[in-house]
Amino acid sequence: MMKKITQIVMMLFTVYSFSQTEPIATADVNSIHSTTSINVERGPYLQSGTPTSVIVKWRTNIATESVVNYGTLFSSLTKTEKNLTLITDHQVTLSGLTPNTKYYFNIGNNKGVLSQDLTGDMYVITAPAIGTKQFVRAWILGDPGTANNSQREVRDAYYDYVANAPINNGKTDMMLFLGDNAYNTGKDAEYQNAFFDVYGDMFKKSVAWSCLGNHDGQSADSATQSGPYYDIFTFPTEGEAGGTASGTEAYYSFDYANIHFIILDSHHSSREVGGAMYNWALTDIQNTKNDWIVTLFHHPAYSKGSHDSDEDHRPIEMRENFMPMLEANGVDLVLNGHSHSYERSYFLNGHQGFANTFNPDEISKGGHTVGSTGHGDGKTDSNGAYEKSIEATEGAVYITTGSAGQISGGELNHQAMYLSLNQLGSCVMEVEDDGKGGQNLIVKFIRENNEIDDYFTINKTGIVTPNVVKNKSGQESKILTYLEDSKLITIAVNKNERLKSVKFYNNIGELVKRSRKDTIKISKMSKGLYVVEITTNKKIYTESVTIK
Amino acid sequence: MISKPVTHRALVIITFLLLSVQVFSHGDLTKRINQKTKEIVENPNDFKLYYERGFLYQQHVEFNKAMEDYLRSTSLGNTDKVLMYRIAEVNYLSEDYKNALSSITAYLEVDSINVKAKKLEAQILFKIEAYKESIAAYHYVMKTMVDIRPEDILEYTSIILAENNKNFSKAIDVIDFGLTKVGENTLSLQVKKLEYLKDSGQVEKTIEQYNYFILEYQRKEFWYYQKAAYLVSINKSKDANISLKLATATIEKLDAKFKNMDSILELKQQIKSLESTINN
Repeated sequence: MMKKITQIVMMLFTVYSFSQTEPIATADVNSIHSTTSINVERGPYLQSGTPTSVIVKWRTNIATESVVNYGTLFSSLTKTEKNLTLITDHQVTLSGLTPNTKYYFNIGNNKGVLSQDLTGDMYVITAPAIGTKQFVRAWILGDPGTANNSQREVRDAYYDYVANAPINNGKTDMMLFLGDNAYNTGKDAEYQNAFFDVYGDMFKKSVAWSCLGNHDGQSADSATQSGPYYDIFTFPTEGEAGGTASGTEAYYSFDYANIHFIILDSHHSSREVGGAMYNWALTDIQNTKNDWIVTLFHHPAYSKGSHDSDEDHRPIEMRENFMPMLEANGVDLVLNGHSHSYERSYFLNGHQGFANTFNPDEISKGGHTVGSTGHGDGKTDSNGAYEKSIEATEGAVYITTGSAGQISGGELNHQAMYLSLNQLGSCVMEVEDDGKGGQNLIVKFIRENNEIDDYFTINKTGIVTPNVVKNKSGQESKILTYLEDSKLITIAVNKNERLKSVKFYNNIGELVKRSRKDTIKISKMSKGLYVVEITTNKKIYTESVTIK
Repeated sequence: MISKPVTHRALVIITFLLLSVQVFSHGDLTKRINQKTKEIVENPNDFKLYYERGFLYQQHVEFNKAMEDYLRSTSLGNTDKVLMYRIAEVNYLSEDYKNALSSITAYLEVDSINVKAKKLEAQILFKIEAYKESIAAYHYVMKTMVDIRPEDILEYTSIILAENNKNFSKAIDVIDFGLTKVGENTLSLQVKKLEYLKDSGQVEKTIEQYNYFILEYQRKEFWYYQKAAYLVSINKSKDANISLKLATATIEKLDAKFKNMDSILELKQQIKSLESTINN
């Protein structure tokens, strides 16, 4: 009898063990090995996509040259970018690309192609020009890196979703990883099993972004920016993708269409107010002109899952230090992982206390939920979408979604959460036109069994309404008239006043022009914002004008 | 007939075991510490296990327990230099700087060029106010580290100013060096440069630095206000007024959706208040 049980145990553990490590074969990838010995072991995968550039990375088993052939026609990859240094970890930047354009590519070396997809499923679609209002879809994965069947089921459920999506099917503009991408310690081999072997099909056509998780941080050393996490990913440090230069890959930002993404490091970097990351994030969020702001970091601001945001110091510090600043500057969506569950908040603002201090009845300015629908489910077919407008700019949804590879339970009773589920799944965020001049930001939680267990909408009106220009000439004063066509500025002071002088100060406050006339030629002045100081015998007027 | 219930029981046990593996793969520190403790019970003389549990304790901010395990690992024969580094690190984190220094010194005798260890040495020396030695150690870090972080540069300048609180020229030189290493527009470094220029009374350069931010950033309203506040502080009220006017004009030109954000509403109040200060 014991022998039989032992056999069962052995068999089940064998199955389990294989389920943990074996990659599922990807049938649609057609690799061509023009030489018998050089193989692509990892990738290709896409990094740091911008409207005009993208980085292609891959690994070969033997050091060789790096070649990317690319073009807008699948049958004619007429452009080539190469690096002749013999290396195994390849990184090639394609630049000078056209925004919002599909480029097919293959990778290889000087002797030929090493990997391509004969069905045309290896491509990059460059990001739209910054500020563009269009459909955007992001796949959000928290704590996925178990390399087991749970992770693959979650992946496959998303693949099914996107293949059958009612609009823009097959399109995934980006992947957003919320950290802990490869258990248990984020080593290179673990990344191979739990990351590249699992998502390879998507990596060759969708740019992957990530924040650092605590498990990634066990082998990655942020103090020296070394280790697998920092080697595998290449993120913009100098504002190359539209954000503010952070000088580090630990935290960075990027723009995609009219969405600004802020990626924070809640694990290694200082979370203090006034620290380097805080100062950077403050400047970055106050420098965006985009319509939507999405923030991601690993440790959840709100969670009662396998981690408790009332107890762990990192979540507390992120919530107390960063959230007031981010909320004051219009953050719309906050994505976290760490707890292996799905917890989704109401439409929040100003709740930085513990879970038991959450007060859903607070809906006034600075309260805990925002707007008449803020304490509802956020569903357009139920309590109604969460609402933001030109006048009502507050409110954000917080999602802790760390169950893309496993579930770990917990009390799951955080009062700020509309819904808490101990279920496997990933999220998809879709931004689309609302048909009324605004946009909807919709997030769905897609279970591993293909069910959508939660969804909500943030509706933002007035997105397509630009700043109201007072008149065509850009005139911003009653006393001063800017005649754009004739390149003149005229000054009309009151009848009982006499004009004495007119001074022009440029956009850094330098005095650049003086006049005593009431009609002033400005044809030689640079375009831009000016302050005009108009002195009469009775008064000094200070006006502004934008010369176009 | 008898085998059935036994098989069921076996399956229950198997299920439990599989679930246990799943739970432990979660990586929760407490659970991993418990697991490591079980392994230690089974292999009480395995120094590797004590080191591993010590590191888990360290991550769990239980420094006393971490140190106990590290010392136990040492006594069982672990001579790995990584253990020496961890001991120094835990001493540093526990604010036992004397022992931290002796531990890191021992480490550096084995591996004198390790940049991470040199950095820890510099940090320990800073804590015991041995500033010159700390600067020397950090200088090595600056020269050697491949991927310097903005935080490293900021830490180095703070040590330089701790040693001599008038030495802004060197601190600014280090910032400028950092900007060449990590990117000329790195925000945290440019902000710190501004702070040092202000603190050292370099008015023209401070104004230039504000202008750098105004020209570099697409939204300028916050920078105009900050520049105005500085100009008021050095009694340049007229220039401050121009800057406040630019701030107001810039806000007016913002897309409508930004104008009602809390940060902009607060900024408007600050502008109003500063204008009132200047004009009264």
